[in-house]
Amino acid sequence: MRTWKEFIKGLWEENAVFRQLMGMCPTLAVTNAAINGLAMGLATFFVLVCSSIIVSLIKKLIPDKVRIPCYIIIIATFVTIADLFLAAFFPDIQKVLGLFIPLIVVNCVILGRAEAFASKNTVGLAAMDALGMGLGFTWALTLLGIIREVLGMGTVFSIQVMGASFTPWIIFILPPGAFLTLGVLLGIINTFSKKKNTQASCH
Amino acid sequence: MIELFLLFIGTALVNNFVLVRFLGICPFLGVSKKVEVAVGMGGATTFVMTLSAIAAWFIQNFILEPFGVSRFLQYVAFILVIASLVQLVEIILKKVSPSLYQALGIFLPLITTNCAILGLALYIPIKNYSLIESTIFGIGAGVGFTMALVIMAGIREEIEFSDVPTAFQGAGITLLIAGILSMVFLGFSGLIAI
Amino acid sequence: MNINGSARMVIVLAIVAILSGLVLALTFQWTKPRMDQVAEERLKSAILEVLSKATKYEEIGNDGTLFNGLDEDNNKVGIAFVAQGGGFQGTITMMIGMDVQSRQLTGMAVLSHLETPGLGARIEEDWFKGQFNAKSIDDPFIARQDVDAITGATISSNAVSNILKNTIPNVLEKYESGGGK
Repeated sequence: MRTWKEFIKGLWEENAVFRQLMGMCPTLAVTNAAINGLAMGLATFFVLVCSSIIVSLIKKLIPDKVRIPCYIIIIATFVTIADLFLAAFFPDIQKVLGLFIPLIVVNCVILGRAEAFASKNTVGLAAMDALGMGLGFTWALTLLGIIREVLGMGTVFSIQVMGASFTPWIIFILPPGAFLTLGVLLGIINTFSKKKNTQASCH
Repeated sequence: MIELFLLFIGTALVNNFVLVRFLGICPFLGVSKKVEVAVGMGGATTFVMTLSAIAAWFIQNFILEPFGVSRFLQYVAFILVIASLVQLVEIILKKVSPSLYQALGIFLPLITTNCAILGLALYIPIKNYSLIESTIFGIGAGVGFTMALVIMAGIREEIEFSDVPTAFQGAGITLLIAGILSMVFLGFSGLIAI
Repeated sequence: MNINGSARMVIVLAIVAILSGLVLALTFQWTKPRMDQVAEERLKSAILEVLSKATKYEEIGNDGTLFNGLDEDNNKVGIAFVAQGGGFQGTITMMIGMDVQSRQLTGMAVLSHLETPGLGARIEEDWFKGQFNAKSIDDPFIARQDVDAITGATISSNAVSNILKNTIPNVLEKYESGGGK
């Protein structure tokens, strides 16, 4: 069934992070703890779903030449809403994610899906696509966050999981750790996938 | 004067946009295969960054703050200005230097979604820079970005004939190299008290 | 492109922009009270942390950096001030409590920092903050001499000492001229 297919593809086959290599900036920057990766994933998910739905709803009203600026305004609007909402109701998360919340605006996943899919499909399918891509992005970031937090601090979601004798490898919560973890993960995933993905894309 | 120089060094090296601040990763991974291409992209980005820094300063101080709308209109305003700047640069470049436009043409549209540009613009009100400081900040950020790109391109050119395991070819090995580069730049920490 | 086409483009763009502005202004109105409350709570908890006898506070001046701590009967129990400066990775911002009469600090709370987790970030740990609990403001404030430093985080430790050394005289001056009693 088409609807299911559009949803499921974002979770693995066309996973935004591991297969399409999009949205790298937040992926590396805020995954120093599991909760941060999860929160960023959910915020991006919110913006992605809302923008895709709106773009699909008004796709016939927007002249082709101004579609990109219009999509950008729509995306930036939802990002601001997410930012204000987090600042009011989850201030500690907002403080940690900081600058990377507004940077959701330039996350290639969102503009990419709006341009490539939402503007050319029905609202229902656009929503499914966004849900799948958004969830795929979220689990990828959460996984990275978990790995980096366990190795770098010995905790997961602030719960101690490594024994007392484990000396955390702090490098994993620092910038180099982000690059290394993603690089190794990518290598592992590519080893087990039929299709290899080598190119970072950002349409 | 010396503070401006320190600001420049701080932005280009100590808090390198790519390797420390995690901004501009997409082009960093995607466009860093050949040194000349990297230089071109870096140059174009530095140019747009400097202009964006100046534009952000004006927008923030003459429009957003005076009307008290900064907290909720800042992101929309900044990204629109950046997108327009890039369009403008494309148009002007096409007229003024078609050959340069040809060389850089492919990169320019990509610059709009480069999170380094928006990130740069957002830092300026946060750090409360003056117009001059914003300009130096933009130039420093661009130079740092270019450095990261060129170093990566240089390394990737070297390993082009190395036997990289299939699973790691492309983005995988680039990320691992970036990790090591990032460790190197970590050594600059504390160089300048920011 | 004909005039109709151009006009349509501009109109659509304008409508989208205006709608966006309206939605955002409304969202801001809706969230602002809560955001102000969050900021207020953060400030209060920092001030009360560094002035243990205080249960409320009032501002001195109006740039948000100097406060009188007050107890239940509105007696002044010390001042709290915001001190900030460059650390290892970025700006360190702290709330410091001081008893002007006895010329002692009463406490230190870290408001924000970007220091390295596990190293410089240890300035948030109780043992580090605790050393400022009854410290004379006439001390030299030099790390490893009168201020305990963090192993492997020299720069962060120095930063805290320097920020305090530089800010305390300014605060005293401001307090004495601005509203000191």
